Amino acid sequence: MSQIKLEHIYKRFGEVTAVGDFNLTVADGEFVSILGPSGCGKTTSLRMVAGFERATEGVISIGDHIVSSSEGNIFVPPEKRDIGMVFQSYAVWPHMTVAENVAYPLKIKKVAKEERNTRVQEVLGMVHLGDYGNRYPSQLSGGQQQRVALARALVARPGLLLLDEPLSNLDAKLRESMRFEISSLQKKLGITVIYVTHDQAEAMTMSDRIVVMNGGVIQQVGKPYDVYTHPVNKMVADFIGLVNFLPAEAKGDQVILKGTSHTFANLAGIPEGPATLAVRPENIKMSKTGGMIAGVMKHRFYLGDSVDYRVQVQEHIVRVIIKGVQYGTWQDGETVYLDFDKVMMFGNERNNYIIT
Amino acid sequence: MILSGMTGLNGLRSLSNYKEVYSKDVNWNALINTVKVSLLVMVASVVITFPLAWLIGRTDLPGKKHFRTILVSSYMIPPYVGAIAWTQLLNPSVGYLNNLFSFMFNLDKAPFNIYTISGMIWVLTLFYSPFAFITISRAMEKMDPTLEEAARIAGASPLRTLWDVTLPLMAPSILAGGLLVFIAAGSAFGIPAIVGMPGNIEVLTTRIVTFVYMGDEAGIKNATALAVSLMIIANGLLFFMSWMLGRKDYTTISGKSTRPNIVELGKWKSLTTLLVGGYAFIAVILPLGSIVVTSFMVSMSKGLVWSNFGIDAWIPVITSEQYLESIWRSLGYAFITACIGTVLALFVAYLSVKTSITGRKLPDLLVMLGGSTPSIVIALALIITFSGNYGLNIYSTIWIIIVSYLVKYMTMSVRTIAASLSQVHISLEEAALNSGASWLRCCKDIIMPLIAPSIVAGWFLIFMPSFYELTMSNLLYGADTKTIGVLLYELQTYADTQNASVLSVIILIIVLAGNLLLSKASKGNVAI
Repeated sequence: MSQIKLEHIYKRFGEVTAVGDFNLTVADGEFVSILGPSGCGKTTSLRMVAGFERATEGVISIGDHIVSSSEGNIFVPPEKRDIGMVFQSYAVWPHMTVAENVAYPLKIKKVAKEERNTRVQEVLGMVHLGDYGNRYPSQLSGGQQQRVALARALVARPGLLLLDEPLSNLDAKLRESMRFEISSLQKKLGITVIYVTHDQAEAMTMSDRIVVMNGGVIQQVGKPYDVYTHPVNKMVADFIGLVNFLPAEAKGDQVILKGTSHTFANLAGIPEGPATLAVRPENIKMSKTGGMIAGVMKHRFYLGDSVDYRVQVQEHIVRVIIKGVQYGTWQDGETVYLDFDKVMMFGNERNNYIIT
Repeated sequence: MILSGMTGLNGLRSLSNYKEVYSKDVNWNALINTVKVSLLVMVASVVITFPLAWLIGRTDLPGKKHFRTILVSSYMIPPYVGAIAWTQLLNPSVGYLNNLFSFMFNLDKAPFNIYTISGMIWVLTLFYSPFAFITISRAMEKMDPTLEEAARIAGASPLRTLWDVTLPLMAPSILAGGLLVFIAAGSAFGIPAIVGMPGNIEVLTTRIVTFVYMGDEAGIKNATALAVSLMIIANGLLFFMSWMLGRKDYTTISGKSTRPNIVELGKWKSLTTLLVGGYAFIAVILPLGSIVVTSFMVSMSKGLVWSNFGIDAWIPVITSEQYLESIWRSLGYAFITACIGTVLALFVAYLSVKTSITGRKLPDLLVMLGGSTPSIVIALALIITFSGNYGLNIYSTIWIIIVSYLVKYMTMSVRTIAASLSQVHISLEEAALNSGASWLRCCKDIIMPLIAPSIVAGWFLIFMPSFYELTMSNLLYGADTKTIGVLLYELQTYADTQNASVLSVIILIIVLAGNLLLSKASKGNVAI
């Protein structure tokens, strides 16, 4: 079990900065997800922790050991970092049986054969593959191969487990059950986990904390609830969950919704000038009689458990999601009034943090 | 055409004369030599090229891109040119390297003799190991790098990873590369003829040529018996190879394409760079240098002194009607072959990839069989078929030569065109037909533009080897159809080293130019 510390990490490929000033401390036993769109630098960051990429600048330590330091010219190769890792492609060796795959880390550590077999059986049991030891990976389904990879990563009882988009090759149902399984295994073993994904649902459900990245820079670090309800910038608000952006104007201690006289208290301290209000589709109430702003019903999409409405407000389309069946309540072309709750506000100077 | 060539040979598979042929020591020894030499060349090639492929593909070896280009480029040097170069470097009387070593270490006798079995293995390994190098490097590129990373993170050192994961996963491809080398070395004629024959070392191919040169029926009969043995060895191994590669399913789901983890060589860096650089120098630069230097020497007897350099040897060659004629002739033959071959290849590929006619794969299979048959066997089959035995006599005309080139070289072109044709998804054609285009219009507007680069590449893949072909031309040429390969071989046999060097340089320049055009046409995707 270990605490992981990344301090002022930069990764440059020639002229391109893939990761800029990455700072993160992961507590012992914590589950942290790095979330972001593809190409945001999340996998590069994880590979630097694993030792597959060398950080151009900064210090990485695992537990009490510095494993990478550009100043100290320290670089511990991956095999000496005592880490378990699960890859997106599973990377289960096709020429070894399931048991041989899982036993490999112990074989390298020269664990005696009997103990090795016991531990392999134990960890295979944990991932529900107890009877599959003698099979070859080509005889397993994708989900089972994924479990083999997980068992192999856990068998040596590493202090740190890295997962690189481990579920993205699985189908939707399996993905959901694996989420739960990984999460409960982590709790049971008390292992520190860094989990890389582009799927916000995975990050939200499994993690203690989420690191949102974009363009090589950490945008926000926080608990799932905090990141969802208090995104620090438009990028985070937009990337996590659904959001409507509406133009506004900041004046003194008030922010005015454009085209209306409706004002919100400027709690975010946005400087005077153009601003943006953001509201999530589930935080909008619709009424036939009156509200903050008027619009025209354009489309309705029936989703079973909810209805997804599109309302034209001035030149924007506002998305409203209402749980429960209300499909017949509203008609296309009808004038509706919207009330916004839990409104977030952002200044217009920039949409997200960029490499400086 | 292909079919008749094959049946001609099949008709002569009378087993009765095998015993008689192999009862002669010289023939039996030739068979043993072929197997022995090919086996050693195969082992040497794999032992050399696997580490090279790994160093170039997976480590931070400096200048690895250039090393790859140099190593792959020895694939496009005609093997007999390589053989000529090595006879210049290591012949026991005036070899450049022998002289150098004698001088440096004050030896009385030349330390090396190229005209031996080891000399032959040496040259064959240098010029056929690119087959193994290309096969192994490709397989290494295709391997999911996370398979190796998983071993590293499990605690294995880079070398342990190489041993436990990379090597076992690559085993089928390594064996495949090795077998390709075995077949190529066993079917080679140029190198054994130039390096082996002067030292009285015979292999199957050189025996076959000797028998054919006898000119009588008994000679042809004996040659056929030997040729059939050679063909069985070569094609048998190829079928074994494709069976083996198809047997084990090592394909894995591959994730996002991460760059393979680059192994840092650390303190080994300078040593490995030196070794790889040394190999590239010996394999490619040294022999090419030798040829070029020799071509610019005024007199062979005066040795390597500055005053001895000039273009004197070039003048008789580039003014000689005979030489120029065979250069143009070879270019012309290669051009005709490439044009006919590309049209045929287009049909064969279309038939095999895009239609659903029963037996659509048959022409493709025959073309492949032709390509995998040793050149010498094809030439012999054509002699038997087209010397009037079956009503058609095109012996010693240009057509028998062109047919032989087509049989041997169409396969690469068909593969290239078929690969690109199979990437044109049927929906693209359907979309065109749906938009109201006729089938012909669809071919012209949709299919042709999409596969055009592969057609150009396919054309060059026939043109280049046809241009410098030796083995088949050497058996099939007549008074008016002497090609540049045959001419060069004659010059070398008559010990006219300088003219041979000049001609070699000319061939190399044309081959190089062709390859540049090819890589330009295919945007770097295909090269010989």
